[in-house]
Amino acid sequence: MTAPTDRDLILRARRGDAEAYGELVTRYQTSIFNVCYRILHERGEAEDLAQESFIRAYDRINTFDIEREFGPWIRRVAANVCLNHLESQPKSVELNDERDAGESQRPEAVMEVHERSEHIRRALASLPPQYRLVIELRHYQELSYDEIAGELDIPLSDVKSHLFRARKLLAEKIHASD
Amino acid sequence: MHLTEDQLNEYLDNEIADRAQIESHLSSCEECAARLAILRNLFAEIESLPDVAVSRDLGSPFKQQSSLPVPQLPGWLTLTATLQAALAAIVLVSAAPLVIQLITPYVSSVQIPSFADVLMQLQSQWTAWLDLFSQLQILAVPEIPVIELSSMAIVLTLVGVSTLWIIGNGLLLRNQNNTSH
Repeated sequence: MTAPTDRDLILRARRGDAEAYGELVTRYQTSIFNVCYRILHERGEAEDLAQESFIRAYDRINTFDIEREFGPWIRRVAANVCLNHLESQPKSVELNDERDAGESQRPEAVMEVHERSEHIRRALASLPPQYRLVIELRHYQELSYDEIAGELDIPLSDVKSHLFRARKLLAEKIHASD
Repeated sequence: MHLTEDQLNEYLDNEIADRAQIESHLSSCEECAARLAILRNLFAEIESLPDVAVSRDLGSPFKQQSSLPVPQLPGWLTLTATLQAALAAIVLVSAAPLVIQLITPYVSSVQIPSFADVLMQLQSQWTAWLDLFSQLQILAVPEIPVIELSSMAIVLTLVGVSTLWIIGNGLLLRNQNNTSH
């Protein structure tokens, strides 16, 4: 028996089928968790917000265009959930190096790659919320400048300035310890 | 004159209109080419982050429920469509007596012509067209007809617009229902 398509699961979920929506969540959870994790860089918080994104998406599932792909839509929902979360938080402090440092029992080469990734994640997480969002939407969700402006409801000029400044800051932070 | 940071960013983002001009400059300017390479390297580093596995199944809280509350359409959409349909229905009902009053004399005075009359009319029309074509020398500028709006025309327009409005709303709601089932 072939697995049901996303479209089938969405149509069933719209009728309140919990099993179908749960299956859809399982299918996209890694992708959505990683959106949240890149923006927040804290596992527990990222998982909670990923869950929150799926709940929010279910509430709006009737507004989703069934002819489009579900992945890009739910990823944008997650990015917005993270932005709302960050903006509702008190001014974030500079992240310390202990935040989600990860496991330490790894072979040397893997450790090196892992440390490099962690270094980039820490740099990303230290950016202002709007900067993190434009980096997420441009580099990981591959939205155009116009699409980002529409998604964040900000002018095109702000998209460019946020993105270019974010990259400049990232380059400084990533290469500061090189 | 070197390329600006904005130009380099927009070039790598494929958001610049004149790529050929940028490429032409890059081919002759080592400094800008080096700056572009550094930026490209940053892009690669940002995009190199591997996906991390989630530690618990986020789908299980949904699967454990027997059913989920059926999501509703946004309230504003339902309200707007309902108000529009109600308003159009009121216009239709209000206009109905007037429409009947205006149409009745025309309907009752209509006489159905016989088949022979229709044939004769067609023949005379055909002859008139042939006469017209035989006399045609210079194309005359046709006169623009002046439309006089009678009360009947206004009523019919109102009825037509209202009907289209109702049909439009019906299609909109039917589409929403289809997507939710």
